[in-house]
Amino acid sequence: MDFGGLLLGFEFVLSFQGIFFVFLGVFIGTLIGMMPGLGPITAIAVMIPMTYGMDPVIAIVLMAGVYYGAVFGGSSASILLNAPGTSSTVVTAFDGYPMAQKGQAGKALAIAAIASFVGGTVAVILTMLFAPLMANVAVSFGPAEYFALMFMGLLLITTLSEGSTTKALISAVLGFMAVTIGTDAQTGTSRFTFGSMNLLDGIDFLVVALGLFALAEVCFLIINRNNKMQNTANLGSLRLNKKELKEMSGPMSRHSVLGFIIGVLPGAGATMASFMSYIMEKKISKNPEEFGKGSIKGLAAPETSNNAAATGSFVPLLSLGIPGSGTTAVMLAALLVLGVKPGPLLIEESPEIFWGVIASMYLGNIFLLLLNLPLIPYISKILQIPRQLLISLVVMFCLLGVYTVSFSTFDMLILLVFGILGYFMKLVNIPAAPFILAFILGGMLEQNLRQALTISNGSFDIFWNSPTAMALFAISLLSFIVPLLFRKKKMK
Amino acid sequence: MKKLMMILGIALVLFLAACGDESASSNGGAEGSDGDWVPEGNIELVAPSAAGGGWDTTSRMVAQVLNEEGITERNVGVINKEGGSGSVGWAYIAERNDPHNIFITNPQIVTSPLSGIAELGWEDFTPIANVIADYAAFVVHADAEWNDLNELMDDIKANPQDVSVVGNSVAGGLDHLQFLKIAKAAGVDPTTVKYVATQDGSAMTSLLNGNVDVYSTGLAEVIEQVRAGNIKVLAITSEERIEGDIVSEFPTAVEQGIDETFINWRGFMGPGDMDPAAVAYYEDKFKQVSDSEAFAEIREQFGWSEVYMDSEEFKAHIQSEHDAYRELLEDLGMLKQ
Repeated sequence: MDFGGLLLGFEFVLSFQGIFFVFLGVFIGTLIGMMPGLGPITAIAVMIPMTYGMDPVIAIVLMAGVYYGAVFGGSSASILLNAPGTSSTVVTAFDGYPMAQKGQAGKALAIAAIASFVGGTVAVILTMLFAPLMANVAVSFGPAEYFALMFMGLLLITTLSEGSTTKALISAVLGFMAVTIGTDAQTGTSRFTFGSMNLLDGIDFLVVALGLFALAEVCFLIINRNNKMQNTANLGSLRLNKKELKEMSGPMSRHSVLGFIIGVLPGAGATMASFMSYIMEKKISKNPEEFGKGSIKGLAAPETSNNAAATGSFVPLLSLGIPGSGTTAVMLAALLVLGVKPGPLLIEESPEIFWGVIASMYLGNIFLLLLNLPLIPYISKILQIPRQLLISLVVMFCLLGVYTVSFSTFDMLILLVFGILGYFMKLVNIPAAPFILAFILGGMLEQNLRQALTISNGSFDIFWNSPTAMALFAISLLSFIVPLLFRKKKMK
Repeated sequence: MKKLMMILGIALVLFLAACGDESASSNGGAEGSDGDWVPEGNIELVAPSAAGGGWDTTSRMVAQVLNEEGITERNVGVINKEGGSGSVGWAYIAERNDPHNIFITNPQIVTSPLSGIAELGWEDFTPIANVIADYAAFVVHADAEWNDLNELMDDIKANPQDVSVVGNSVAGGLDHLQFLKIAKAAGVDPTTVKYVATQDGSAMTSLLNGNVDVYSTGLAEVIEQVRAGNIKVLAITSEERIEGDIVSEFPTAVEQGIDETFINWRGFMGPGDMDPAAVAYYEDKFKQVSDSEAFAEIREQFGWSEVYMDSEEFKAHIQSEHDAYRELLEDLGMLKQ
């Protein structure tokens, strides 16, 4: 590790303008992240024109702040309104929203903030210590390894269901079907687009998530408006007792590392990390039945993981010049505009950029915690807005959020379609989570499988010859078989 | 509650400010005193892609020069209309049909309609001016057995199933076609080339970890990895070598005896049947951009070449490109029936 470099970074960050821009970045990020439907990509896109002509270190520190700030703040909308602003906080809604419904909104937000802080900070430490090493990990994954990773997620899909496995599988199949819409990259053929150019790029993940979660919930609330609704205006206490803190510590320590590793892999990113962490946590939990009903672990795991992954995604960007996600790709373009050439030589030639970002993340995470915790009582008051008004606000923000992703009114219609689909799924008790996971995994699963088989001329040897892929396959099979064996034993 | 509303308010203002470019200008434009066209409102450069791509960067740089050098009287903004490999943006321009809304394009406006990806094509728009040219680079791992393009092409001729080519565009997209165009000239049957399309920028990763053999991409994308000694450039697709550090060391396909080029030209087009006076207005402005020192610096920074063409030249150029790609796509069996 390069202490000189780190000192250089802190020297910049602890200057007046360093502190100012780190704060500005995380402040704007949190603000945009908190808005339902608005996420990091929107936030960064807004920042790009502002960074023109700036000092490159300031620009990247600012943009990085906006990015992890948006991921940090993104949990609020998921928890309070079931309306995730970005794909990486979809999982946060699984247990966060039920907690808020139970009158523990304040507590849920506090857990999310602390978990985010821990995830972010641990990931910065890991980046600082292992960036060059992790850069090798980032390039070690090829199509075969990615396929194995997606396959693992796929096998665990039923973990996300409550009750009927059949219904979970129905939901997953629907998700797989939805993701096949669009242009197939390997052949250039458009599939199921019905001649509409708006469908050529497929459906945006955020549209699906907002439709199935937020709009479906809104439909449900409107249609059942005459039922006596439970009082959610009760925000509950913010304070976490010792037992709760202890409950969080396990998932936080596990998933800050797991999230970081998945975040480092180009293409996997924070969304995948949050899902994987949630599933893993549920798998190893002694009380898996609590998940989905407001489990502290179920909330802490993905919140730690997505922030760790957001930080991890800077590793390939800064140490190799390879963007690992849509958001970092936009940042790469912004850096090029400023005359910085991110590549393998960046750390050597412009150490102030790499170390400036690292140092700024330490400070940024502290700012975020200080910024978010005191705001919780105010933010959670959103639930005290009369329900009629709140519902309209949620609908408005969903539409706004979808529109800002693509500036296309067509996507708003698609949002409505998924909202209605989500409502009917809710009505017949088909869980939405497997749909969402299948939608994320499906595209990458298919593309990576076909890439791998193209490279190997159709031979499956490409999987056998990859130790990483085989290890991942083995883990997924074990996690599937072992519980079955245990169940048999119990039945005897 | 008040505080909350305040926060919401601030965020909304921020958001609206960010979308300021959206509020489009009024229709038409005015006739100046001597029959010249002058814009009546702000000018909108449409990048039919997401923020961060080649179209986006080029139009943002052009807009920056137009504004900062005071070339245009009116403010020039860039908006992104992504989707359908450009067709969403093209449809937007056609629908607006307003000379204040023009867009940036490249050979895709020729290839997409030919392969049937898009309904609209270059014939539906008015070429205004070309501003820059970018070139493709074919790179392999530093340890790869090939040292020049001919060795690679000979291997592909002999055992096409053993060489995989990766690119970031879908099959039939530019990363794919640029390689096939050169390969065909080298005597390779383009239908036998094994192409792997990646997303999320994992193409470079796949090359570095040895999963694929050749990466077909833009010149600017490879410079840093070459400097680090991770990859080597077998060929670039310009007529002559490019000036500049490192890039001047990249051999062209032409100098290796493969007489073919691929030029990723980037220029602006407006709606169909655009007012000739408006075309003349933009021609003049883009010429000024192209000649400016500020833009020369930008070109150098991104490794672009200066290729200015006025409306007439641009149109003739596109027509010849159309014929060439038509033939290539026909050979590939990718031509829309």
